[in-house]
Amino acid sequence: MKLIKAVGLIAVLGLGSALAQDRTQTLIYGGDWSDLITMDPQVSYEFSGGLVTDNLYETLVKYEGADLSTLRPGLAESWKVDRGRDSWEITFRLRRGSKFSSGNEVTARDGVYTCERALAIKGPGSFLFTEIAQLKPGATKALDNYTVMVSIPKTASPGSFLSILTFNIGGIVDSETVQRNARGNDFGKEWLTNNSAGSGPFRLVRWDRGSQVLLEASPNARLKPKLQRVILREIKEPAVLRTALESGEIDIAEGLTPEALRALANNPRFKTLRADSLRLNYLGMSVKEGSPFANNLVRDAVRYSINQDELVSGLVQGNGTKIQTIIPKGLLGYDARTPYNFDPARARRLLAQAGLPNGLEFELLVSTGICGGGIPCADIAAKIQSDLAKGGFKANVKAIANAEVLRTYRAQNHQMVLVGWSPDFPDPDGNATPLANYAARSLAWRNVWNDATSAKLANQASLETDPAKRTALYRLLTDYVLKNGPYAILYQPAVPLGLSAKVEGYVRNAQSQVRFENISKLP
Amino acid sequence: MFSYFIRRLFFVIFVAWGVTFATFFIANVVPIDPAIAALGDNAREEQIQEFRERYGLDKPIWQQYLIYMGRLASGDLGNSLRTQRAVAEDLREFFPATLELSVAAFLVTLLLGVPAGILAALRQNKASDVTVRVLALMGGATPVFFLAVLLQYVFARQLDLLPVQGRLDGFTFPPPRVTGLVGVDALLARDWAAFVDSLLHLMLPAFVLGLFSAAILARMTRATMLEVLSQDYIRTARAKGVAGRAVIFRHALKNASLPILTLLGGLLGGLLSGAVLTETIFSWPGIGRYVTQSATSLDFPAVMGVTLLVGLVYALINLITDLLYAFLDPRIRYS
Amino acid sequence: MAVLAPVNRPSRPLRRFLRNPGGLIGASLLVVLILLALLAPIIASDPINQNIAERLKPPSAQHILGTDQLGRDVWARVAHGTGISLKVGFGVVVLAVLIGVLVGLLAGTLGGAWDNLLMRVTDIFFAFPSLILAMAIAAALGPNLNNTIIAVALVSWPIYARLVRASVLALREREFVEAARALGAGRSRLMLRHLLPNTLTPIFVQASFDVGGAILTAAGLSFIGFGAQPPTPEWGAMVSETRSYIAEAIWAPTAPAIGILLTVLAFNLLGDALRDILDPRGRD
Repeated sequence: MKLIKAVGLIAVLGLGSALAQDRTQTLIYGGDWSDLITMDPQVSYEFSGGLVTDNLYETLVKYEGADLSTLRPGLAESWKVDRGRDSWEITFRLRRGSKFSSGNEVTARDGVYTCERALAIKGPGSFLFTEIAQLKPGATKALDNYTVMVSIPKTASPGSFLSILTFNIGGIVDSETVQRNARGNDFGKEWLTNNSAGSGPFRLVRWDRGSQVLLEASPNARLKPKLQRVILREIKEPAVLRTALESGEIDIAEGLTPEALRALANNPRFKTLRADSLRLNYLGMSVKEGSPFANNLVRDAVRYSINQDELVSGLVQGNGTKIQTIIPKGLLGYDARTPYNFDPARARRLLAQAGLPNGLEFELLVSTGICGGGIPCADIAAKIQSDLAKGGFKANVKAIANAEVLRTYRAQNHQMVLVGWSPDFPDPDGNATPLANYAARSLAWRNVWNDATSAKLANQASLETDPAKRTALYRLLTDYVLKNGPYAILYQPAVPLGLSAKVEGYVRNAQSQVRFENISKLP
Repeated sequence: MFSYFIRRLFFVIFVAWGVTFATFFIANVVPIDPAIAALGDNAREEQIQEFRERYGLDKPIWQQYLIYMGRLASGDLGNSLRTQRAVAEDLREFFPATLELSVAAFLVTLLLGVPAGILAALRQNKASDVTVRVLALMGGATPVFFLAVLLQYVFARQLDLLPVQGRLDGFTFPPPRVTGLVGVDALLARDWAAFVDSLLHLMLPAFVLGLFSAAILARMTRATMLEVLSQDYIRTARAKGVAGRAVIFRHALKNASLPILTLLGGLLGGLLSGAVLTETIFSWPGIGRYVTQSATSLDFPAVMGVTLLVGLVYALINLITDLLYAFLDPRIRYS
Repeated sequence: MAVLAPVNRPSRPLRRFLRNPGGLIGASLLVVLILLALLAPIIASDPINQNIAERLKPPSAQHILGTDQLGRDVWARVAHGTGISLKVGFGVVVLAVLIGVLVGLLAGTLGGAWDNLLMRVTDIFFAFPSLILAMAIAAALGPNLNNTIIAVALVSWPIYARLVRASVLALREREFVEAARALGAGRSRLMLRHLLPNTLTPIFVQASFDVGGAILTAAGLSFIGFGAQPPTPEWGAMVSETRSYIAEAIWAPTAPAIGILLTVLAFNLLGDALRDILDPRGRD
């Protein structure tokens, strides 16, 4: 019996504290939420921010469960896409009687306000609206109290727009409450940083930064949660997370080590889950002129030097899966082929062919911290370093702050980086264009890989509407990038979770969305 | 006396300025890009440019410094690039947790260090003295970060006696925030369960943080007591038949308190440094963890804010130590 | 000139040292650590050689301190880490003493406004919380072992500046300096020939303590990621890398932590003994 529980119990019984919470009605979810900077749905672009705001706000359309391909009704009970003269017109019929936590009814006006708000605030995720959906101010209209119509240009994809609307940037805010709390022209940005005004199943009660976020069931919500309270508890240390879960301080632990996960799996008091993600951890090689990696033989040598099986089974241990192509499992166009097998002798031959019989020394940049799948980046780097050595490479690992890694990478000043990439929206184009098209000024650009074939394929595939043809195009593209690109994909990390056996109904989709209203706790 | 304090006050201001000056230029030794740190991998080039302009990061360093100093004069510490809000606001939010932990650790230091030192001095060269000295030596050489990890493992995981993280159990409803010190807030709300709970959460981190300075304090107390006990007047008092305990508490301890007091000021300052490691490991939401996270993401406005605050607190502690010194030792007159 | 020789005669301190048990333990510990550092390549295997299949294995005949999360031999890493920690400790103190002595000597001998300015700068560095400042410096310089040494040295020098200045001021009043001055010795000659040797004792005592302190601070920096680069077997970094596995492999973080503890202990014991012997007035 934990001292704290004993004393706590005595205190509760003896002094009759009315404030102690009912354990079966409270869920405590531990993890590294240190990236939380705002609770504003139109501003937040962090994983943790999305996790919280998705439960505070409802979107017009949404995905359910782990399925990221079928749109379901959210605040809109139905919607249709019409081909206008020079634009797509998307009309949403709102459900009647949905209420914000303030008690106000959700109307078309709130939908319009939310879209205009996102465009005006220009948060870090606003490019989803402005670039991908090419949404302009004034393009969202309320046809009546329960009908919203959005017009986007013909050059944009209505499918992409609808999928973007499932993110927190599309979370409908209570326009009246927000405007009442606005300061000047800030569209309530300051107020919404620490408060909520949504129609989601929960409302934000208290946010102790760096410590915990306390959500409570919203009294007016249409979606009635099974739990009264959800608490997100910020714990970064994997060992502490594990201890906290095992001693009952928390109900769910996110970011455990593979060993902890294995131990918990063998304990009937707990269950484990490896939630999918769309992330890829990869090596990026600069093919800038004069760089040794400009020669594809050298890049091939790198790909043959990596003992991916040992990396995935020995180090990542199920907290990630083997993958070599650039579209992650879970998206259309995923290609399961893994033609590069660990072959250091071949790598040495390739290096010799490339005119480097004595091997190659270079710098491998890696960020400090955790690299996906609960594995420290430094461990991945050390593993890669030792593999590469067998293939004739001498990689000097430099572990620096993530921001420094990204700065160097963005300035095209790296030789090799070990980083990760998650698509901005769940579509193969979220990976294909950044990784294959130099003109997008994203990953291909950073690695100075200007390849006309891959850029053309990526473009074609993004505009193709027929799924079969699109799949075929992506197959061509991924195969081409696999063999010619400036990358060596390492693995697709999963999110390692440990849960108390009493927790039911936890589902996390590959976009890191968790619907807290579906979670319940057995007594 | 008055002019002495005016001078000390000027000194505090001078220190504060020096701290900001030094940190500012340290922060700019290497061309860093906090914009990328704040916006992340997927940010578009235009967003990064816009961010740089918003925070004045596109200006030359000396200009940035002048802007910073200008704002500082009006009490504005600038904005944190990571949390994207005023550094002053962040400090207000996180400092109470550090204060709470430091005070608790200071109590650990006092309650362990002083009695252990006195005991060792009175039983010089006996078993208890040797034990105290060995423990003090070990305590002064143990890396605080390992001690934290080890005690978490033993007391929270293996024995399951104490909570492993945080300031309050998740199932305990936090008391309304008044002072930011959870224990005090719980008392104000008359929430005894929360108060007890907050004490339990303090135990491990406070012990970890306080042990190192307790070790130093024990050694110092022992040495000082030995010296005082060998003085003539103590021997005289003993010869005059004053009972043992009275000698120790009325005479020896009073005279030993001055050098101990000097040390305490330094130790309290040292606790703030130790808090960096302790808070990180115990998920303690104080400025130690805040400054670590800020430094990791190259958020130098935040790092500067913390150094400034801690530098000021440190200077303040020294001032208070001086005051107490004058109070306790009538021979000292400041001029 | 015989008057100016160091105050203590050489034979007595040695005899007193030999009678000081703490000092003897400290010195023998240090000898063992130095031997370990020198012999590590011979008596321990490759510290960066990985074997993922042998990950987190408990101590055995093959790996006497077990293996870490990459299947590396913990004993090999601890042994090779000895030299690194000693290098950091000595490096920091040498650098800090150089800066401190320079500042202290200048302040003490120049006097007046210079003295004031230099000592106020010293006060500023003294007022800094050391780990926070070192962290800021290390973050700005970029994390590697040499920058860690620089960062810790930059927060450790003020004590030497104060010590040296105080000694200089005290010595300036002493007769023999007056005598030397009367004999026409130049200012810089005065400083180097006469003052410095007489300030060495307190510096030496302080430095022996600070080596341990520097090792602790540097390990703390490495622990939070502002120090040695992987796969360097730096002790603080080793504790940091393996702390998540404490439940499965308690040996992995404990072994380097004991390394730190013993090294710091050795220097603290040595410092105590040296202070007792060389500087009886400065005793606790």
